[in-house]
Amino acid sequence: MNYDFTEAEHALFADIAGQVNALGDPAALEQRDPSEKGWQIRRVMETLAQTPYLKLGLQPAEDYNGQLTLMGAMEVLAGISPSAYLAVESAARLFGRAVGSWGNSAQKEKYLDPILAGQGLGALALSEGAMNIENEPLATIGEKHGDSVLVTGTKQYVINASIADWIAVAGVCEGASALFIVESGDPGLSVDAPLQTPGYQGTPISAITLDRCEIPAGQVISPATGDDMPAVLRTWENQILLGASLGISKTAFETARDYAKSHRSGGKPVIAYQEVGFKLAEMLTMLQTAQLLAYRTAWTLETSPDEAYELMLSAKVFCTESAEQICSEAMKILGGSGYISGNRAELAYRCAKYGQIAGISTEIARVKIGDAALGYRK
Amino acid sequence: MDFAFTREQQMFKKEIIRFAKKEIVPRVQEHDLKEAFDFESFRKLGEFGILGLHFPEEYGGSGADVVTTVMAGEALGEAGVDGGLTLAYGAHSFLCADTIFCHASDALRKRYLPGLISGKYIGCMGLTEPDAGSDVASMKTTAEKKGDTYVLNGSKIFITNGPIADVAVIYAKTDPEQAHGGISAFIVEKGTPGFSAGPPLIKMGVRTSQTSELFFDNCEIPAENLLGAEGEGFTMALQTVEWDRSALLTPFVGAAKYMLNACADYAKKREQFGRPIGKFQATKHKLANIRIFYEAAQSLAYRIAWYKDQGRPLNHLEAAVAKLFVGDWSMGPANDAMVLFGGYGYCHEYNMERIFRDSRLAPIGGGTSDIQKMIISKLI
Repeated sequence: MNYDFTEAEHALFADIAGQVNALGDPAALEQRDPSEKGWQIRRVMETLAQTPYLKLGLQPAEDYNGQLTLMGAMEVLAGISPSAYLAVESAARLFGRAVGSWGNSAQKEKYLDPILAGQGLGALALSEGAMNIENEPLATIGEKHGDSVLVTGTKQYVINASIADWIAVAGVCEGASALFIVESGDPGLSVDAPLQTPGYQGTPISAITLDRCEIPAGQVISPATGDDMPAVLRTWENQILLGASLGISKTAFETARDYAKSHRSGGKPVIAYQEVGFKLAEMLTMLQTAQLLAYRTAWTLETSPDEAYELMLSAKVFCTESAEQICSEAMKILGGSGYISGNRAELAYRCAKYGQIAGISTEIARVKIGDAALGYRK
Repeated sequence: MDFAFTREQQMFKKEIIRFAKKEIVPRVQEHDLKEAFDFESFRKLGEFGILGLHFPEEYGGSGADVVTTVMAGEALGEAGVDGGLTLAYGAHSFLCADTIFCHASDALRKRYLPGLISGKYIGCMGLTEPDAGSDVASMKTTAEKKGDTYVLNGSKIFITNGPIADVAVIYAKTDPEQAHGGISAFIVEKGTPGFSAGPPLIKMGVRTSQTSELFFDNCEIPAENLLGAEGEGFTMALQTVEWDRSALLTPFVGAAKYMLNACADYAKKREQFGRPIGKFQATKHKLANIRIFYEAAQSLAYRIAWYKDQGRPLNHLEAAVAKLFVGDWSMGPANDAMVLFGGYGYCHEYNMERIFRDSRLAPIGGGTSDIQKMIISKLI
């Protein structure tokens, strides 16, 4: 047993924070990038490629502990820029991880290597309008057509869709789950304008439509036999959302704490008032509890992934729901300044809700945890 | 980071659960209804080695680490042992015996520890007073040095095991002019002239534990019963806090697991509207909330234990966070469990109302949740 990160991990976290902060005011990353290619995000990817960040959890990294180190690193990046974090993670830990886990060597060389080098941007298209709690079969279909595959379907909420070089589209091909790698500009692929969202405004999220989009058969990735592809992808999404929740919670807490120590009222710092001090105590309690749950989940995914399912869902519910509470309380402590756009707590609050909705929603997560307790689901 | 329990620890936990289900749990309901201390179960805890887990073998203990020790509390809770017995065990082993072990002379250790560890003696600790709760510096009980003795005068309140204890660790002011620095700790034996206990207080929960006032009326004790040196009492009291906020918390964590298992079993059998209530999402939601609390609370409690094993002194922030979480966040799951059982949950037979009542102590005992918030807000 050990409840501490190692010195090497702490050094890595400091390196990541230093490199990303050196890019300039992180608030800029929260603005919609008008460029079609998403240069803001690409710049962050290039910067992170100078550190082990992009490789964590995807390739063996000496001195680090796989998913556990990754969770700590995710917390750092999400705390600096939630938008850049979500875009980077969608590229690396959804698209990149899918290729790394299920792709052949040619596919890894073509798609994963550029991602890890910070020279490419990927996206994963999973959600469909009809998807529900039981993960009904995906409606997106790939039909073999000679040496090609014709992909047809509609996907919603695709992160990075408008700026990605490649989109891994989840669907079904000849009765089996498959990922179709569609390249930017491919005929038959249309990407809607980015959606307007309250948070993560620097992350482009769009719907896409594929109308007999023709791709070479070599761009089809088949998950390993026995893998429930949608469920695995949701697990990866949940990991990303755990990291996001930790990052925004920590930023909101620290912003409120620093303000409460420096802002004076009635001749003393406002933290000296129990209404404020006690609120911060509750926030820190939720934050530390969320951190331990997320770290333990990541550790379990690394050491015994078959035992991680219910713990992951428990962490998903607690971390994302407490994030919203922490951010909300932070705004109250900050008073009027917390309501001004650009304040770190206000930004965190706008992002917080997403974590409860995306991946497995907290309601569905509770149903699944309950099913497990009842023995209804193995 | 590494959250793994050793194979031995996991086997040990299973063994305690098996022991408790067989030897203790069948007696819980009867004693809870009577509000009676279960002397036989307490003796069995001693025989099984639970009362002295972390003490050295030379005193009859097992030399276990702190993580293993607090695991025993979780196992007892998970087995269905009531909060009254686990509270009595905690007050006995950690607040009384551990203080003697850490601060008493070798002669006093040899005199008291073997009996406390075996369960022959029952121990208690007296710190709180009617007008001095978390503000311990305002305590009024005094200990005046007179030759080779100290003479104690004053009273204590809310003392777990007070009416049944053979050995008490008592905090009193040796220098009433000083605040924290004037507090000292003493061992007082049952039967010492001038020392008496009031009748057991009638409580909402943890009813099998016996809680009372203690009175000191010119109670004369040997000067050698002073623990450590004069003025060191406050530091000793602080050191017990980490036990308060790890070992005394884990029975609540284990109780959550007990509730989860019991609720799931009930929800699979209980049918309404033509199907088991476990098929309804509202039932699953409650089960999930209990599970989430269990997972969260477990990590917090074991973190304190692991820190203590590493020899890190007085981790007040982490300890207060753990205490606050278990205290305030346990109310929801305990309520959910009782409601899930419907009318049966409100009846004693099904245990949920007892666990609900027992859980209500978590945000109060060992420093209220407000005190934890005060500690945290000062440390951040």
